[in-house]
Amino acid sequence: MSDLAIETHALSKRFGDLAALDRVNIHVERGSIYGFLGRNGAGKTTAIRIMAGLSPATGGSARVLGFEAGRDSIEILERTGFVIDKMLLPYMTGRELLRFNKGFFPAWSDAQARRYADALEIPMDRKFRKLSHGSKTKLCLLLALAQNPELLILDEPTSGLDPVITDQLLRVLVEDFANDGRTIFMSSHHLSEVEKIADWVGILDHGRLLLEARLDDIRSAYRRIRVTGERVPSKSPEILTASSSEGITEYVLCAGEEKFLADLRNNGATILEVLPMNLSEIFIELVGKENHNVPVETMA
Amino acid sequence: MIVRVHPASGVPIYLQIESQVKHAIAAQAIRQDDPLPPVRKLAAELRVNPNTVARAYQNLERDGVIRTVQGGGCYVNGQAPRLLKPEKIRRLKPLATQLAVESRQLLLPREDTLRLLEESLNELEKQP
Repeated sequence: MSDLAIETHALSKRFGDLAALDRVNIHVERGSIYGFLGRNGAGKTTAIRIMAGLSPATGGSARVLGFEAGRDSIEILERTGFVIDKMLLPYMTGRELLRFNKGFFPAWSDAQARRYADALEIPMDRKFRKLSHGSKTKLCLLLALAQNPELLILDEPTSGLDPVITDQLLRVLVEDFANDGRTIFMSSHHLSEVEKIADWVGILDHGRLLLEARLDDIRSAYRRIRVTGERVPSKSPEILTASSSEGITEYVLCAGEEKFLADLRNNGATILEVLPMNLSEIFIELVGKENHNVPVETMA
Repeated sequence: MIVRVHPASGVPIYLQIESQVKHAIAAQAIRQDDPLPPVRKLAAELRVNPNTVARAYQNLERDGVIRTVQGGGCYVNGQAPRLLKPEKIRRLKPLATQLAVESRQLLLPREDTLRLLEESLNELEKQP
């Protein structure tokens, strides 16, 4: 069995002229929590829909738990808890939906369903269509969690949830899933949650995967450096951006901090500050408006 | 021992956990042979990835700060970690650089900067 829970190879999806996904290679290790990040319209949901077999790829392939997406949909759906469209049968209550879904999933757990319904504070006796936006999301999450799956694929799981419920959800994900060595793949643009819980991140922008790496490696590698004096050439593969004003130059570096600092010193520059960057700063540097042609970057 | 992590600080979370455990030991909040919280429990409490906690514990064990008992969790080791001199220097280098930068910025003469450092060292030695 492969060590990857999800693997895509040159996955592409075109809608007419629009390349929603452009040769995307995703690698999700088993047992990891993978934060799939991107702005609205970056292609995150498109990728997830292909994994679930809801939409065919126009190029490349995706494998989920070793099964081919689009071909082995039943095998994938049996083993994977998906939360994508947050739409269920509108006239059924939470309790009825639990009973309805139970039959499809061999590993289903009633005890866990009860526990999660409590933890997430879901009104189980109200019809789905009468629920608030947040409660609809929570009910979808509940159904996916109660499946007791090897893999959870969650599209924006925390959108519409209040901070207390979000915290409860993260606890459930860590306690019951990550601690058991199960895999979680979640898309989000709530970077602060991803930053805590994820150990891998992939950043998607305009259908292209700009970065895929271990979060701790990214944190150790990216630096914001402010210097005065002589400039070293601003063209180097490690420099993500360089900007100057009033004698101070600011670099954003994606690797090779020590060598770069030594070069700067040799050129007579004075280093004012070397700052670590958090995920949200890195995200903005990578997909922010000013920088377009960023090279594809993979750190393994 | 209470561990708090600040995910947005840009410092890897495993490093934050490592340094907090070291501080807790230095401050004698936890002592020799005290148990550390199990990986899974700490991960759930902090809502962070269990792999991150495990990595922090592995590094602490490698540095000799804690020891793992087969199937029985992690415990604080008695002796202060013995680091090799190059490692000590590597850890202090950024602080030395920072001192140098600041003093140059303030146009403080070299001798005064060195004297300042010496005074700080002397003060520490005077303490019991």
